[in-house]
Amino acid sequence: MATTVVNPLREGLRLARTPEPSTIVIFGGSGDLAQRKLLPALYNLALQRLLPAAFAVVGAARQPMTDDRFRAELRDAVARHSRTKPLNEEVWKSFAEHIHFVATPNDAAYDDLRRRLDDVDRELGTHANRLFYLATPPPAYAAIIEAIGAHGLRGETGWARVVVEKPFGRDLATAMKLTEIVHSVFREDEVFRIDHYLGKETVQNILVLRFANGIFEPVWNRQYVDHVQITVAESLGVEERAGYYEQAGAMRDIVQNHLLQLLALVAMEPPAAFDDRAVRDEKVKVLRALRPIRREEMAERAVRGQYDAGFIEGTRVVGYRQEPDVARTSSTETFVALKCFVDNWRWEGTPFYVRTGKRLPKRSTEIAIQFRIAPHRVFSREASAGLEPNALVLRIQPDEGISLKFGAKVPVQGIRIRSVNMDFVYGASFMVDAPDAYETLILDALRGDATLFTRRDEVEQQWTFVDPIIDAWSNAGAPPRYEAGSWGPAEADRIVERDGREWRKP
Amino acid sequence: MAQALAQGPVDTGFWGTRAAGVAALERELARLRRAQTAHAREQGRTIARASVLNLVVYAEREVHARRAALSISELSLRHPSRAIVLLADRGAREGVEGRIDMHCHLPSADSLQQVCYEQILLRARGDSDERLASAVIPLLVPDLPVFLWWTGNPPFGRRHFEGLTALADRLIFDSADFARPDQVLPAIARVSEQARGRFGITDLNWTRLTPWREIVSTFFDVPAYRPFLDVITGVRVGFAVDMDGRDIHPSQALLFVGWLASRLGWRATQSLAPAEAGGLLFAMARGDGAPMMVRVRPRFERGLDEGDVSGVRIQSGTGAVMAEFVVKRQPDPRHVTATTILNGERRGERVVPLPSPDVVELLGEELAIVGSDAIYEDALQALVSLT
Repeated sequence: MATTVVNPLREGLRLARTPEPSTIVIFGGSGDLAQRKLLPALYNLALQRLLPAAFAVVGAARQPMTDDRFRAELRDAVARHSRTKPLNEEVWKSFAEHIHFVATPNDAAYDDLRRRLDDVDRELGTHANRLFYLATPPPAYAAIIEAIGAHGLRGETGWARVVVEKPFGRDLATAMKLTEIVHSVFREDEVFRIDHYLGKETVQNILVLRFANGIFEPVWNRQYVDHVQITVAESLGVEERAGYYEQAGAMRDIVQNHLLQLLALVAMEPPAAFDDRAVRDEKVKVLRALRPIRREEMAERAVRGQYDAGFIEGTRVVGYRQEPDVARTSSTETFVALKCFVDNWRWEGTPFYVRTGKRLPKRSTEIAIQFRIAPHRVFSREASAGLEPNALVLRIQPDEGISLKFGAKVPVQGIRIRSVNMDFVYGASFMVDAPDAYETLILDALRGDATLFTRRDEVEQQWTFVDPIIDAWSNAGAPPRYEAGSWGPAEADRIVERDGREWRKP
Repeated sequence: MAQALAQGPVDTGFWGTRAAGVAALERELARLRRAQTAHAREQGRTIARASVLNLVVYAEREVHARRAALSISELSLRHPSRAIVLLADRGAREGVEGRIDMHCHLPSADSLQQVCYEQILLRARGDSDERLASAVIPLLVPDLPVFLWWTGNPPFGRRHFEGLTALADRLIFDSADFARPDQVLPAIARVSEQARGRFGITDLNWTRLTPWREIVSTFFDVPAYRPFLDVITGVRVGFAVDMDGRDIHPSQALLFVGWLASRLGWRATQSLAPAEAGGLLFAMARGDGAPMMVRVRPRFERGLDEGDVSGVRIQSGTGAVMAEFVVKRQPDPRHVTATTILNGERRGERVVPLPSPDVVELLGEELAIVGSDAIYEDALQALVSLT
């Protein structure tokens, strides 16, 4: 690790711990992720004065390109995708001076990359602090990591960290294999497996809501909670990602990472501190306590689906199998609903219904904590007709916020009760633009804070849970269909209706 | 009351209709809320009445009160509040009267959410110093922090100031407006000491310095440059004045020097001395006792508000290596260049955005913080030793 040099002027500033002078090396530098997410995030960090004074971006990709051409491409990409517009030319110009490109068409070219990184260090004083970002398609990961090791790209003086994009493996075996390759060059505390959901403000707010407040935790357990529903709904179809999606499906694309992360954050015990070790320890405990879904339980606890043609926002859309680059006989699932249990003291017997899907009626991610009804009915049945159980809903996107549903007396003579919502709307209370998830996560990685990244054992537990389900489905023919613009196949409704409950309409 | 009315009308279009007494005022607020909700319901919307703080504004002139009210209404989306504007017309005869106004803002046309905030005008006339606080107390929303925004020089020790700060969790003022910063800043330092544990202090002028502090700090994040902090030989800070250089407002530049001095353990070896053209020059001693010179200079710069820091130059070195760290406004004042120079050779330069925020943004930033800023208090204390 690099020696930390205390800067007395930093004290009391917004970012008491800023990234040290460093270089970010982006493999897949001319790719989609770099252009749509990474560079816009870096540029916005520069705009907010959050980058170190000495900072360079080195892009690497197979096709050769000049630095100028690379900068011009990125300029256009940032101008198009940045959350702040228009592009601030002066800041961009100054930022772009330290953007470089190195072509890595073969193994020998990694020596060029090393030389360029050494030049940057000499020129800027970046002290060989390097963040390697794997923004290539996953099949290229292994070769790049091996090249980083073989060609001494880590440098001798500074720190080295690697950011690995999802999907991290495609099952437990491949995830473990990938970790093994990464560990041949990086220690586990240098590995930052990114799940961009964790960079979202509202996702971090789950922890704040639960653990910065005294009133929620006492009722956050099986005694008071009837069940929990987690929904990650997209109205989009597979778009241009069919090549990847055909191989992945909703289970690998959303459930294994984002959905299980949300579940872990909702169900976890209070960590002793908000740091990488304590938070991730508690999340792993939840994942370990997840009751496996056995083959004979599949019908009751796991439902998949695939969208057919239908209507989204008034527009006709095609079915999954009619999408470009999708096999006409594809059995890839675009919808998953699961009934999960966390087998521990806090949650014994409390179902967690989770679902995700493409081409659902609207884009919405939310977590609903449904509380038990009042133990004794004081008011007459007619009076309570409009009363629903209390629910605390955490909306992740869009309209980030928190709602609490409770019963109130309708202002008429006599008692009539109706459920009302008490709403907290993020946008209305804090009119600041929330930073993009990638800005948060890149900054954290530059500072070496891994709290919001996925640790090895977390990934492995996630695969341990989803692998058997994927296995069972792979031998069970095509998934049931659902109409685009509906809330999934009828089978999904049955897993909650069987328990006398129903899905929320987010 | 009738007598008060006769003395110059209140612009009811801006401030709302008049209510007689607190109970009437609360009734009027309730009526307005109902009317608004009914109106929103017709359009299929609901109104959220959100309050996160009480904001009390003290002003002695209607233009200041009005400007403050406009700033608050812009802020209401970010910090929904009950705003109580106290307009103390000290020249007129006595009596306190309440005026009530309520605004509702649509954050955006396609949004279904509306947040409403309440604005109350209290106009006091004549010598009402001892009764001001009592008029404010029943209007505060319970359980929410009270921010007191004092426009103009805070009159430390005076009855009305003491009475109102006793209600406040935080006192906000702007030292940019101070005519004699060399006198007022030490006074604030004393107040902040007394205020410790009672209310926090915010100087909007200090908030304006935050980006400067960040940019200057960033130089020394580079491990190789960190040692230069210990061997600084001279500091020059420029601040903006208008073309004829009449109005000199060096508070911000002084706060910057106070900040460096407190962070780096400098002490004054002689007090402030006037230098050329309204500037100030003083000798200080570093932590290791070596002498150094600090120069604060007025400069005419287009596009800057008077008193804003316009540039910083820090000279440092041991003889073998001389370093300069320079932050300079670009011709376009919304950007600065930060340059590192070693032995006369330019080693790194970058352009950093530095928008000059308006008072609404500054307030917004400050309202997000509830605690006191120890770094500011240290900077003030360092300044006291200079005067």
